[in-house]
Amino acid sequence: MPQTTIYVSPRSLGAPDSRPPSVVTTDLARLFAGSPALAGVSLRIEAARTVALLGSNGAGKTTLLRVLSTAIRPSYGRATVDGLDLARDADLVRERVAYLSHATGLYDDLTARENLRFAAAMYRTPEAGGRVARALSDAGLAARADDRVRDYSAGMRKRLALGRILLGQPSLVLLDEPYASLDADGMSLVDHLLTAWRDAGVSVLIASHATDRLAPFLDGRVVLERGLVSAVSGDGVTAEAPSLPGAAPVTEAAR
Amino acid sequence: MSALRADARIALEIARKDAVGELRGRHAIVSTLFFSAVLLLLFGFALGPDSARLAAAAPGLLWLAVVFAGMLAVSRLHLLETDDDALEQLALYPISRRAIYAGKALAGLAVMLLLGLLVLAAVGILFAVDVGAAWLPLVATVVLGAIGIAAVGTFYAGVTVRLRAREVMLPLLMLPVLAPLLLAAVKATAAALAGDPFGDLGAWLQLLVAFDVIMVVAGAATYGYLLED
Repeated sequence: MPQTTIYVSPRSLGAPDSRPPSVVTTDLARLFAGSPALAGVSLRIEAARTVALLGSNGAGKTTLLRVLSTAIRPSYGRATVDGLDLARDADLVRERVAYLSHATGLYDDLTARENLRFAAAMYRTPEAGGRVARALSDAGLAARADDRVRDYSAGMRKRLALGRILLGQPSLVLLDEPYASLDADGMSLVDHLLTAWRDAGVSVLIASHATDRLAPFLDGRVVLERGLVSAVSGDGVTAEAPSLPGAAPVTEAAR
Repeated sequence: MSALRADARIALEIARKDAVGELRGRHAIVSTLFFSAVLLLLFGFALGPDSARLAAAAPGLLWLAVVFAGMLAVSRLHLLETDDDALEQLALYPISRRAIYAGKALAGLAVMLLLGLLVLAAVGILFAVDVGAAWLPLVATVVLGAIGIAAVGTFYAGVTVRLRAREVMLPLLMLPVLAPLLLAAVKATAAALAGDPFGDLGAWLQLLVAFDVIMVVAGAATYGYLLED
């Protein structure tokens, strides 16, 4: 796989210890129709860490990523990204966070190149033409760049959505099941990006069931269970039990 | 000022993206044009062959067709954003909420202008009304009416876009708000077609301008809340 250029914002430079933590949540809760998808998550992830978010279906992984991306608001509690409060500084948080969700958020009637050009305009990416071409090449889509996305397979859409992240300058990348729908080359692309982001000092939080595949890239793990952190492990990741009566303690997860 | 310029650039990009998607997919304009043509024909059948009666009813029929078709058009433009959750992605870009509103409203305005002018021409042909004699005030009325419908429609399409019952909710929410616009646009059109015998055309156009300003400002100020869940 060729070298991928990760554009790093000045805030991602410097020793990780001198930077504010990438993520801090305090008693973070999110209800859907009265049911808690997150039930009081208190978590701290230091800067420049690659952390897996593990747990069974419905444990709250996607909800946590969506709250951190500012796609949804927490019902209770608070959270910061790079020291910025999600509720108060949402506009600034959006400059620092990139989110790959289950949906790719692409426009079917536009070509892959047009989709990325639009994204580059939204990110105010400098030298957009060149960076769009590089992102398409990095995503392995240069040959199909002028095809409409309507004709793309699910895996190609996922690759294009990954390429879109390369147009911004995030200091925190949130990935929800990044390996889903991808073929072997696509999975290698994700591996390659995880390495590139880590080398560039970008924090990555990944919700995934592909624990074996992720293992070589991880600094830490967070296990969610029924909307709560049940265990953490690794360097630069800590969690507390929610400040609720009778809450179970957070344990050290086995590596 | 530079923030406003940046917002304007973002809004134009969003409108351009919608325009390219519309030109390729023809999600809004073709269906709404056919809808308004059918509506005008049905109105004509309902009123009968009396040409004087048709001409008298023409301003009202014109604006009913534009409002109904306009609701469909702005709704369709918003639905483009629901494919693959593009609206959520749009909301996650580091851009201002008013720029997103302005971009969607600009795209809606472009469709509304095309729709309004074509429906105006169709009314001239079907109801034997001489729209050419008063083209300037008629075009001004269509432009002001299109701005108002795009401004209101973009806001309420944002309100209803995630609802399952959006097809029912959109007209229920939009039509009462559009009542002043409908009244002013019909009166202005009637005055323009009659040669402004009572000198009230300017007042109706002023009412349309006031409506547009209020709705654009209110939409830009509140649209961001609709993007958050």
